[in-house]
Amino acid sequence: MRRRIPLLSGLLLGLLASASLAQTIPSYEQLVYPALKQVKIPEPTTFTLANGMRVFLLEDHELPLINGLALVRTGNLFDPPDKKGLSSVMADVLRSGGTSAKTGDQIDEELEDIAASVESSMGETSASISFNGLKETTGTVLRVFKEVLTNPEFRQDKIDLTIAQSHSGIDRRNDDPQGIAEREIASILYGRNNSYGWTIEHADLVHTHRRDLQEFYHRYYFPKNIMLAVYGDFSTPDMKQQLEKLFADWSPEQPPVPPFPPVTAKPAPGVFLAQKSDVTQTFFSLGLLSGTLRDPDYPALEVAVNILGSGFTSRLMAQIRTKLGLAYSIGAGWGAAYDHPGTFRIVGSTKSASTADAILAARTELEKMRTSEVSEQELKTAKDAVLNSFVFFFDSPAKTLSRVMMYQYFGYPNDFLFEYQKKVAAVTRADVRRVLQQHINPANLSIVAVGNPTDFGKPLTEIGKVEMIDLSIPPIPAVAAPVR
Amino acid sequence: MRLRLLLFVLLPSLLAAQSVAELQKSFEKKVTEFTLASGLHFIVIERHEAPVVSFHTYVNVGSVDDPGGQTGLAHMFEHMAFKGTPTIGTTNWPAEKAAMDAVERVYDRLDAERNKGPHADPKKIAAISNELAAAMEKADSYVEPNEYDRVVESNGGEGMNASTAEDSTNYFYSFPSNRIELWFLLESSRFLNPVFREFYKERDVVREERRMRVESSSQGKLIEALAATAYAAHPYRNMPGGWASDIEHFRRPDAERFYKQYYVPANMTLGIAGDVNPAEARRLAEKYFGRLVARPLPSQYRTVEPVQEGEKIATVSSPSQPFVIIAYKRPDQHSPDDAALSVLDSVLSDGRTGIIYKDMVRDKQMALGAGSAPEFPGGKYPSLFLFYVAPSTGHSSEENEKELDRIIQQVKTTKVDEETLKRVKTKLRASLIRKLDSNSGLASELCSYYVNYGDWRRLFSELDDYDKVTADDVQRVANTYLVKEHRTLAYTYVPGANAKIDSKGDSEDHSKKEGSK
Repeated sequence: MRRRIPLLSGLLLGLLASASLAQTIPSYEQLVYPALKQVKIPEPTTFTLANGMRVFLLEDHELPLINGLALVRTGNLFDPPDKKGLSSVMADVLRSGGTSAKTGDQIDEELEDIAASVESSMGETSASISFNGLKETTGTVLRVFKEVLTNPEFRQDKIDLTIAQSHSGIDRRNDDPQGIAEREIASILYGRNNSYGWTIEHADLVHTHRRDLQEFYHRYYFPKNIMLAVYGDFSTPDMKQQLEKLFADWSPEQPPVPPFPPVTAKPAPGVFLAQKSDVTQTFFSLGLLSGTLRDPDYPALEVAVNILGSGFTSRLMAQIRTKLGLAYSIGAGWGAAYDHPGTFRIVGSTKSASTADAILAARTELEKMRTSEVSEQELKTAKDAVLNSFVFFFDSPAKTLSRVMMYQYFGYPNDFLFEYQKKVAAVTRADVRRVLQQHINPANLSIVAVGNPTDFGKPLTEIGKVEMIDLSIPPIPAVAAPVR
Repeated sequence: MRLRLLLFVLLPSLLAAQSVAELQKSFEKKVTEFTLASGLHFIVIERHEAPVVSFHTYVNVGSVDDPGGQTGLAHMFEHMAFKGTPTIGTTNWPAEKAAMDAVERVYDRLDAERNKGPHADPKKIAAISNELAAAMEKADSYVEPNEYDRVVESNGGEGMNASTAEDSTNYFYSFPSNRIELWFLLESSRFLNPVFREFYKERDVVREERRMRVESSSQGKLIEALAATAYAAHPYRNMPGGWASDIEHFRRPDAERFYKQYYVPANMTLGIAGDVNPAEARRLAEKYFGRLVARPLPSQYRTVEPVQEGEKIATVSSPSQPFVIIAYKRPDQHSPDDAALSVLDSVLSDGRTGIIYKDMVRDKQMALGAGSAPEFPGGKYPSLFLFYVAPSTGHSSEENEKELDRIIQQVKTTKVDEETLKRVKTKLRASLIRKLDSNSGLASELCSYYVNYGDWRRLFSELDDYDKVTADDVQRVANTYLVKEHRTLAYTYVPGANAKIDSKGDSEDHSKKEGSK
């Protein structure tokens, strides 16, 4: 008897112990989250230099680094029709062609000796010259950056190099099927006769000369047309002083740069097929012109298109990937731009045999969302995803600085993001349906497919009338010898 | 004058060396490590700048661990890890489980019939296939689609994804920092109780992924052919995506066995970086991950690649523009020569001053792009030091291959000058500093260094090894490893065009194999 009691109590103790060890694991619905800590949004210091250049400074002392970006109000939308590709060649040679004092190759060595970089690039609606370096090299990096920005030499050998590389790039443009789909849908949606939609051919590059690069540079690269952001490990008053001194001798003037050309394209509904023999998948894109971030319906459209095709929980993902197993990659984006209509696109890829099935399934998902309201849970998921991840807009000083600068660049109010947040929170199921009906008409969709039609299970004519896309690359005209 | 120039070159790198030492010291204060009784290891990195946290689960398993005839299985499991648990992703788990088991029984019958080979009855196969489709449909009817993903996304999860490589499998995303407990709950649950629902639909998705990454890309095909040719026996010969027919034959129990063997706590390391309290992290780790029980570690032994006895060639016929790769055998990441090989790679192809870029792209303009990579496809086992080139229009693959050969000869016969060596070391330092500025990067890097080298501090201390590399070392490793007998030449060519490379030609190799084992 006596011996059994300790045994029993030992057993009981053991049971109790294991009960307390095995803590109850809640379900995710039962978790209660503390309020999120207040986000500290750093405030950049902004001022204008005597020459008219707008400056944004933001200190970040976590790492001994300095970074910067000059945003120039230009873009390849300004390429002249008879010199397509000029702006990109110019931006490349701006850096590689060196300055009056140093060749580009010398600058390469000077910068890399101190693990720094200065790079120039051209986008659709902006050009940039960026720099970065270790803190202790700030003086050198700023000096080289300023030289490149203000005093490019555009040496002919580097113009020749960039143009030769561009020719090689054109010859390789049909190697990547996804790249073909992206390029062709843009050309079809914007039209091939303007800088939003044209493709640069070999013949276009033949007419690009040094004086063209210089003219383009002088027209757009002047202080009043530039915003400069610097962030990293520095003191703001010091940096301000350095920049004032650095740019004291640079004050060229030009008339204000006009707005970018308007988009005039009309819907181009239809099915467009580009044949590529060496693929087992078809890459497809269904698109139409979307809108800008200024559109009052923009927040509701973002929510709507997120439900349709963003992330792993979207309808396209659930239906075409998870349920039908027809695609690894499938999604959609509203694609609004700051200052001109962007493109709404459903993008995916599927094995050749299921090409028509996957495209039709994607279109069906879009149509379903226009004809019946989304569920309360879908709406909540889409809104929560935006609202709960809002903090990630502010998780690094660089993101804050770049946002503030982009808003000023495109003339958006500073509190645009916060207004957007409020509007997303207010979106209703009826809004989702309304904006889809109003802005996305499936009958207007342009559908591009890049693939091998001999392996298609069903012909694409089941979707609509098919127009072939000619992928052949016109050769360099024999007569046009380069003139310098 | 000469002295001043030298000082100018030296000064920045000395300062950078100092700042790296300081950075490591400041990191010692930010990093907390602990290991649960099961062997599960945690690395917590405090960064309170913003109320966000990044999570990284580094599993020491990759495609090298794929069983024979089941290449791509590690990747297949990675996909299944998003399918939920007995409580997440289902409307009725007991019924779903029963229906899933019924699928397997029908599938067993189908396999049994197919296994009869020529004696199999096509009618029976068709009938069982129909039965199988119905059984799958029944099992899928209990699924709450993509619920695991939905919980993450609706709670503000950012950048959720996973990747499978030769050496490792990685799962990662970020949350606002008030959702830390949700990550502990979700992440522990999926590795405690993974549910392999919708297995055969996901198998189709994985097959599509291979079509996209490999079969529809000439470079994808070339890299696959390179690995399969360069390696005769070691599993680096298979890409993480696996071979098409292996994928098409995966069964659910295969993935379950794989999970049990490799997803053991001591084989997993978890990194948490951001606005996190380490004591709280430890409490939550015990509570949620304490449920995972210790299991023995899997063997790390993989067939040792035999010494290559001569040059190999792999070609891919493709209408795409040509691409050339030359790959040389090199030792694994623990080799004493590892640092010198990294420095050699930087000398050859880092930035605008790398030898290959300057020579082939900038000056001779024969290549649109060209460079090197010091370690492909992994590092845990002996790997490849490779060179790649995309020839310019009007310049042949053969011409480019010869020029690469000439550069290789040059680094074998000529010492790198001190200025270049100094520059490369400075850049390696700076690139470390630049790695430290994101939560997700830190969580991933520290896990990777801990698993591969036993200590996250190796991220910093490997710079000391780079610093010790001399011009003699760089020349020595070039001569030791960049030898023709141990190389594989891989290239694409346009059918019909005269673009084949005659490798038996005059690309001579007089190097001695110093220090070969």
